[in-house]
This record gives sequence, structure tokens and C-alpha cells, in this order.
Amino acid sequence: MTGDAVWYEAAQVVGITHALNVATDALGALGMIEEATAPPEARALFAEIRAFYESHAVPPAYRLIAHDPSYAADVWAAARRAYADNRLSRRFKEALAFAVSMTTRSATGTAFHLGEMRRLGVGPRGVMEIVGVTQMFSSYTKIADTLQLEPDMADLAPLDPTPAPGGPVTDVPRL
Amino acid sequence: MPTVRLRDAAEYPAAAQKLFELSKTWFNHDFAQPPAMSRVMAWDPEFGGPHGRAMKRAMSPGEFTRAEKEMVAAAVSGASACEY
Repeated sequence: MTGDAVWYEAAQVVGITHALNVATDALGALGMIEEATAPPEARALFAEIRAFYESHAVPPAYRLIAHDPSYAADVWAAARRAYADNRLSRRFKEALAFAVSMTTRSATGTAFHLGEMRRLGVGPRGVMEIVGVTQMFSSYTKIADTLQLEPDMADLAPLDPTPAPGGPVTDVPRL
Repeated sequence: MPTVRLRDAAEYPAAAQKLFELSKTWFNHDFAQPPAMSRVMAWDPEFGGPHGRAMKRAMSPGEFTRAEKEMVAAAVSGASACEY
């Protein structure tokens, strides 16, 4: 897990997972778009999402935000990019999303990403490993916050000197 | 600033020194002082001991690697808005 690229990928998963959970958990009052009566743009989007998840169901977040199909399409494009296999595997990204959903107490998100983890081959032991890490670090973070501990392990990881993707190589500014 | 005065490693009993050595091995890093969290956990071995064992068990390689689990831990800490 060295180099910044994997951390950028992880951050994308954490961010978009939280964004989708926020919609799912808070937007019920809007009502979900029904595929049968949805406009063609939304139906095409739903078909793409179902194919990605190899599922008959479209995750509720997209059905809630598809009241504006163009907006939903952009959110989906970002989510598809974040969750797809890249430097980090899709299987591991679902584990990250599961941990984040648990931490932010999104029951819907937790159930969805648990299902995805299982679908992508994570067994009962693997699920409990992620539950354990999530639970123990939920404890550590609250202990650290209560005692207002200051970060003291930042220099454990080496600085990544590579440029941004496609960018020129330059001297890395030292902090 | 921390709510408590974090004691130097030298202020802890011998049993805790052993824990600090373990934490050095765990992080594969020679700290000038053990990390603040290690010192907090060493304050009460009856809490810190089992808590540390549960953490170690959770973080050990299994279906996911230790590195993957460290990333999950970082994501959990970020989602909890914890700076430490």
C-alpha cells in the first residue's frame, strides 16, 4: 500500500460511499423513481447500474436521485470509476465501503456493501476481519478524541515523490 | 493539547516496557517515545491488554492483508473525523 495512488482511490471510495448513503438514508421522502415509468435517460442509467452490480435491483440511492437523470448519471459515472477494479480491487473497495457504512451507521449502506463483498467472494472470516478492524478503530478514534491525542505517527509512511497523473516530474516540496 | 499528561515510557512499570517493545515490533519503527496510544493503553493493562489483543487479532493477515486492513483502519478513522 505504498505510493499515494492507492490512497487517492481509497478516498474516492470513502467519499462516494458516504454520498450515496446520505441520499439513501435521508431522501426517502422524495420517493424512488420506478423503472417502468422512468424517462428513457433514467432507464438507460438503471440498466448500466444493474449490469455493473449483476443484479435485478438498482441501489436505492440512484432511484432517489434519478429525479434529475443527468445529475444521477454524473454521480453514477464517479461511483463506477471509484468502485471499479484499478490499483485496488473491486472486492477490497467493497470492504472499504462496508467499513465506512458501518462507521457512519448507515444500515442500508452496510447491508448493500456486505452483499457486494459476499458476491465478490469474501467469506464469513473476511467479513468478520473487516468488522473487527472497523470496531477496534472506532474504539481507538474515540479514545484518541476523548483524550485529545495529537497525531504522532505521520512520519511512518514515506513521502511519494511521483507527480500527479500525467504531470511533469518536479522536486517534491518538503514540509 | 491532550486532556491528560502523557507519561514518558520510563515512568511505566516493567510489564508496560514489554508492551512498548511489542508496539515497536508491530509498527516496525524505532520511536523516540512509544506512540501516545500505546502509552494510553499501557495505563490500565486490564483494559489495554485485551483491547490490544483484539486489535492484533483483527489486524492480522487473513482473507485481507495487514496492509489492506491498515487502509480500512485509516478509512474508519477518516469517517470518524479523528485526526489522531
